[in-house]
Amino acid sequence: MLFPTATFALFFLIVLPLSWLTMPWPHRWRPFIIVASYVFYAWWDWRFVFLLAGCTLWNQVLAVRIWRAGAQSQKRALLVLALAGNLAVLGYFKYYDFFVTSGSSVASLVGVEMPLEVKSIVLPVGISFYTFMAISYVVDAYRGAFEPTTLERFAVYLSFFPHLVAGPIVRPSELIPQFYRPRDPRRVDTSRAFYLIATGLFKKVVIANYLASSIVDEVFAAPGQHSSLEILIAVYAYAVQIYADFSGYTDIAIGIALLLGFSFPQNFDSPYAATSVQDFWRRWHMTLSRWLRDYVYIPLGGNRGRRPILTYRNLLLTMLIGGLWHGAAWTFVVWGGLHGAALVGERLWGERRGASARAPTGRARWRSRILTFHFVCLAWIFFRSDSFGSAWEMLGGLFTGWGEASPLVTSGVLLAIAVGIGSQYLPARIPRLVMARFSRLPVLGQATVLALALMLTSAMGPEGVAPFIYFQF
Amino acid sequence: MSDRPLSPLPRLPDEEPPTTEQVATTPAVETPERARRTDPRLLRRQWSAGHALVICVVALALGLLLNAPGVHKSAYNKPDGWQRDLALAFTGPLADLSHALLLDRPRIGVQALFGRSGADEIDTEIALPATPVPRNAKQTKKPTGSPKTPTAPRKVAFTPTKKLRLWVAGDSLVIAPGFAVVRAAGSSPVIESVGGVDGRVATGLTRPDVFNWFEHIRKQMKLLRPRAVVLGFGGNDDKAYMTGLPDDVTIDTFGGAAWRREYARRVGGMMDVISRAGGFVVWIGLPQTKSAEQTRRFDIVNAVAQKEAREREGRAAFIDTYTMFAGDDGGYTDYLADPNGALRKVRAGDGVHFEREGGDIIAREVLKALNRTYDLTSWRKKRSA
Repeated sequence: MLFPTATFALFFLIVLPLSWLTMPWPHRWRPFIIVASYVFYAWWDWRFVFLLAGCTLWNQVLAVRIWRAGAQSQKRALLVLALAGNLAVLGYFKYYDFFVTSGSSVASLVGVEMPLEVKSIVLPVGISFYTFMAISYVVDAYRGAFEPTTLERFAVYLSFFPHLVAGPIVRPSELIPQFYRPRDPRRVDTSRAFYLIATGLFKKVVIANYLASSIVDEVFAAPGQHSSLEILIAVYAYAVQIYADFSGYTDIAIGIALLLGFSFPQNFDSPYAATSVQDFWRRWHMTLSRWLRDYVYIPLGGNRGRRPILTYRNLLLTMLIGGLWHGAAWTFVVWGGLHGAALVGERLWGERRGASARAPTGRARWRSRILTFHFVCLAWIFFRSDSFGSAWEMLGGLFTGWGEASPLVTSGVLLAIAVGIGSQYLPARIPRLVMARFSRLPVLGQATVLALALMLTSAMGPEGVAPFIYFQF
Repeated sequence: MSDRPLSPLPRLPDEEPPTTEQVATTPAVETPERARRTDPRLLRRQWSAGHALVICVVALALGLLLNAPGVHKSAYNKPDGWQRDLALAFTGPLADLSHALLLDRPRIGVQALFGRSGADEIDTEIALPATPVPRNAKQTKKPTGSPKTPTAPRKVAFTPTKKLRLWVAGDSLVIAPGFAVVRAAGSSPVIESVGGVDGRVATGLTRPDVFNWFEHIRKQMKLLRPRAVVLGFGGNDDKAYMTGLPDDVTIDTFGGAAWRREYARRVGGMMDVISRAGGFVVWIGLPQTKSAEQTRRFDIVNAVAQKEAREREGRAAFIDTYTMFAGDDGGYTDYLADPNGALRKVRAGDGVHFEREGGDIIAREVLKALNRTYDLTSWRKKRSA
């Protein structure tokens, strides 16, 4: 079920009142929201509901056993078992064919027959997100940071439909405590919820879909057919498209959760205003960044190694894993590797400058922003291209076709890019002011503003509903 | 656990992580110190869950009225069945009401402002040549004079200074092979891609209400003047429902005699429209898919298109992708081995569409078909001589 559809609107109009009506009775609310979330998930493919249920049971049983285990060695063995189960499921559904085809390429080079066959496995939507949430649950239990809750609450945590298919990746300590107390039906942050839903829809339906259909898909599919200017603008357009698509989805998810009385952590904070790659990762897909930091980077040793080289290794490994998480293809690994290398480079540069290293100000700050944005765009070329050949063609095309006709570079495309990037520099005060003003309107006024926003989004957006980019991850 | 309802408790400070967006909203809970720090204009009023529900319902109802023409078109474009009937029964009167109350005007205005005028119109008119091009009328002369004369391209020579103009159009299945053809055209000095790849998702020849290809192709032929048109249709046409039927025609079942007749009229008519405008058609057939049932339906669509292409030999060619993408056992496969033996993913995860490498395989066949029809190589001999 996609958020910007009539089916979801109908589903939500049923779930919203029933959720609040059952809220005072937690033992009724929890089964209700689990059933609603499973229906939401089953709408895509009912068979994978069993996978979600199995993942819930597996992690709950092991998290409780880890928590109760006396000896550290026993805890560790159980943790390894839990992680192996989660990674095996993820590996099978997401990476099996990737490993077999990669293996077959290597085997063909050395003239050996690949013993395994590809299985053409269907990727269950959202598996990367809920597997990571489940891992954080068992690891937190192992660390003693979070006591496992009941099976019912854990099932709500893992399957709660606003975050189920594309995040944000919410930690157990952020969401599960909210299930212990009924939410207060007298105080719902409606203005923020509606603001996030309306802007999220606009970003996805108008900006992201428009840029995809107007320039991005065409240029990335056949870079050799386009001028350097078209390729350059397509790269900027993709940067805006993926931001509008993914942040639009999480904005809607956060808004829907707020209407149900729950708060999710922020997932984006003007990433294209970042002044360094490190800063970018503090602003882009923030819940994944901190997950990678807490469950990959720090366990690898973080920056506490005796030698700096170990820190660089940890950074690089973390970003390579982050790249592979995004998709089963070597282009994603290269994308992660580029970001890892940039993080290492920044750290080296900072260490060389030592005490004189300060946060850039004034013109230097703008230079850093422009440089960071262009580095991020360069890495997006590998992220978006379906092969290295295509990525190299894009990179080569940036230099070889200046002066050629560029019919895809229209004023509409440039405007959408300008809106997408310009919105990152909007002072935080403005949306807060808009939300505050909106909250003071009467009910009918708020409904009218929202209806007009719906009309604008529908009238300006291309026909049809394109799937969200992050669904495939 | 008792059935007694729990009263809502105030939120604990550590219950939810603070976010940069979080601001206190109700003056009653504002501490004097916090109130001093926060600009009162930024304070948000919180509403009850009941109010939230009322706002949702009223906004959606009003939004439906404001978007009624688009909602009605979406309902019209749905696949045939009870859901479509139900949606039409609801959205038809809704669109009438919206029009009567002038509530559709803002949407029309916004669409006009963004160059999308007429986007909500439902057009089912099928404009096909009144007199079909004679079957098997293979011609050897270069088309000249009026484009209305039914002509076919002979083995006309193209050179780097006089390039073969090529256009790709069709449903979503044509997108990957289409871009592969465009890439191949880019590396050929004698082929020029015009109009890119006009692939439109969820469209076909049975539903001109969803997208009127007959009208669109006629316009594009005039605008782009291609001499080769690569088409791919049928992926969404395997249904027992068509719009734009002539008054005296009814469709009983998918694949039945009436269905085949009408579908052949549309496929053949489209080929004729292109022929009359001086273009050669390369029709990409439907591949087998992961679903055996869908593959069986695609066979029926393929049979019609293949027959129509055969009857227009010299003016149309059919590319059989069915066997091209068969696995070792003759059935569906996602992967094919390349000449070095390495496995390549040629089909998309949905079991229907093509991956980039699958598109490349089809593009090679398209180029072979163009080479059979046109002279794309003699310029090299002349140059070397």
